[in-house]
Amino acid sequence: MMTVRSRLARAVAVGAALALALPLAACGGGDSGGDADEIHILVYGDATNKVETQLVETFNKTSKVKAVLDTIPGADYQTKLQTIINTNQAPDIFFNWGGGSITPFVKANLLMPLDDMIAKDPGLKSNFLPSVFNTAVVDGKSYGVPMRGTQPVLLFHNKKVLADAGITPPQTWDELLAAVNTLKGKKITPIALGGGDQWPTQMWYQYLYDRVAGPELFAKALGGDKSAWDSPDSRRALELLRQLKDAGAFGTNFDSVKFTDGGSPALLSSGKAGFELMGSWNYSTHNDANPTFAAKDLGWTAFPSVPGGKGDPRNVVGNTNNFYSVLKKTKHPEAVAEFLKLQYSDEFVKAQLSIGNLPTTTNTDKFLDTATNPAYSKFQFDMVKQAPSFQLSWDQAYPPAATTTIHQAVQQYLNGRMDANGFIKAMQSLQAG
Amino acid sequence: MATTTVAPPLMTEERRSGRRSGGQNLGRPGFAWALPATLFFGFFAIVPLVLVVVLSFTSWSGIGSVEYVGLANWRRLAADPTMTQSLWLSVLLTALGVAVQTPLSLLIGVWAAGHQRNRAVLSAIFFLPLLLSMTAVSVLWRVLLDPNFGVPGQLPGLFGDGNLFGSRTGAIGVLVFVSSWQFIPFHALIYQGAARAVPAVLYQAAEVDGAGRWGQFRHVTLPQLRNAMITSLVLMVVGGLTTFDTVLILTGGGPGTDTTITAYYMYEQAFKSFDFGAGAAIALLLVVVATIISLIVVRVSGYDKMRSTMEGL
Repeated sequence: MMTVRSRLARAVAVGAALALALPLAACGGGDSGGDADEIHILVYGDATNKVETQLVETFNKTSKVKAVLDTIPGADYQTKLQTIINTNQAPDIFFNWGGGSITPFVKANLLMPLDDMIAKDPGLKSNFLPSVFNTAVVDGKSYGVPMRGTQPVLLFHNKKVLADAGITPPQTWDELLAAVNTLKGKKITPIALGGGDQWPTQMWYQYLYDRVAGPELFAKALGGDKSAWDSPDSRRALELLRQLKDAGAFGTNFDSVKFTDGGSPALLSSGKAGFELMGSWNYSTHNDANPTFAAKDLGWTAFPSVPGGKGDPRNVVGNTNNFYSVLKKTKHPEAVAEFLKLQYSDEFVKAQLSIGNLPTTTNTDKFLDTATNPAYSKFQFDMVKQAPSFQLSWDQAYPPAATTTIHQAVQQYLNGRMDANGFIKAMQSLQAG
Repeated sequence: MATTTVAPPLMTEERRSGRRSGGQNLGRPGFAWALPATLFFGFFAIVPLVLVVVLSFTSWSGIGSVEYVGLANWRRLAADPTMTQSLWLSVLLTALGVAVQTPLSLLIGVWAAGHQRNRAVLSAIFFLPLLLSMTAVSVLWRVLLDPNFGVPGQLPGLFGDGNLFGSRTGAIGVLVFVSSWQFIPFHALIYQGAARAVPAVLYQAAEVDGAGRWGQFRHVTLPQLRNAMITSLVLMVVGGLTTFDTVLILTGGGPGTDTTITAYYMYEQAFKSFDFGAGAAIALLLVVVATIISLIVVRVSGYDKMRSTMEGL
């Protein structure tokens, strides 16, 4: 009963937040009146906002130009951003995923190249891991400064459920299949999947394609070579996924479950499911909802290796990082530069680590011991550092226009509405970045 | 006032036209009275509609310049199976909505028009969903219908594995149920008002003629509610064809494209794929289809003539 209550409360809160965010964002940034000495910062609304709020407060203590933080709740972020970015309501600084998520804005000449700022303060570039910083370089110019943390996708599990079933976290595909069978025998959904959100389903494709074919297949497809989707490796990855689903790994009702409304995390934390493949933000999601579970029973491993696969088992997929990009028309470029400098400050690193995020500044490993869960942060840090390849999520690598097609295809192939040929055809219809 | 027949008396053409011209002799307000509403309508309905027509022949991502592409958007939509499917889905959802909502709201409305004990209290409870925002209602039902932690999780005998949002039938069922839950009170309100307006003398006459409870409902109430029914029907059809919020929040057009109705497909093209040209073309198509269907309903039902049910009283 308690859980039903808190879920209801959360639903009401989400509704209220939706209602509040609209006027909030509508007030954002646009004050062309000019008397307001403010810079508006637009970010994706979730649990990490408390760090952003803290940094804005720190900034406002010393700055004459005041920073204002506006948030847009999760799923609506990209839509709202693209709708306002060319209007008076556009923010000065905004959150993005680099890559395909900002390319259209760069092409429309809306963003400020940060190279001049970097020339004045080389720290804006040199304090970040180069592989991460480069995700927001478009046509040789830098358009983003990393913020938040890197978000590799990990295979999470419920330690208690696995221990009760006598399973050790799987290292190989066959071990995963065996674990699925054992859990199914105990009437536990082996793997929680928020199929209603569609992007959690996509993570399974990303890892399987990488493990089977290596990162080159997707790179080729993204570069415009559509035959990559029809290759034997592509079909093999699809076959393995179908095999996993047919083994009952995700149960039968995964398309009705969502990650974003707390459904699939609750499956894992309540012990109704054994595993969940999810981005590293999953730790702070659980830490927010159920700190005891996050600290005690939440386990994690890398994605298993696949027999005969060409991809390095150390490869990682996910979101390399989030970035702050700057609108060309901001009235306060100096204040913006000062604000961006906070993104490699010790305070930033410590605050991110304290909620389970892993920043990609060069000074991060100095503070790993101060993380809310040092073991978790170290695991991720080593994983990202040692990964030969870090594949950006498919829906972020392609421009936003491709998102719907990708999401529908991954959902329809997994639930059986589409066969392999249908999936391949859908992916081949995408316009390359 | 001595009416002995239940059916309204026949009208002759002379009488009808006589009444019309008689009405015109009354001092009718001039055009100036309609000016504010006309301006408002022109500015917020006609102007955007014209812009949508223009936009449907262009390619525009919301940023950058608008590019004229001729009939490209229209050609693409004509060949797009999701587009055709979305039109059928819109019609299906509307038809199901009408089929579920009309009988229920008719019964509740007629019941609520009476003078039973507790009627006021129960009516107030029935009409509560009407006061809630459609968005909040949808968010609420999404959580309530979670297969593991919602109602289906508690009643596996009724819901099976609870995969309501994962199958086409389930998802359509949820959409029909939630919009009915919210809108039956509204239509019941229309019927309640109309049922209250039925003159008591008709029931007394029916009783004299030996009509029982059912007979009174069938031969007095139903014919008298004719105009209310048409009003409610037109509102349901227009509302059904433009349903959007429930789909956005409850199913997101899914699973796959199984509940991608036309209004949602328009949103998806414009605000998710940022193809405002295609979005505008779909919007225009929706306007045309909804107008045609409304016209048919109005014609077939005789709404345009709006014959009075009070003739001869």
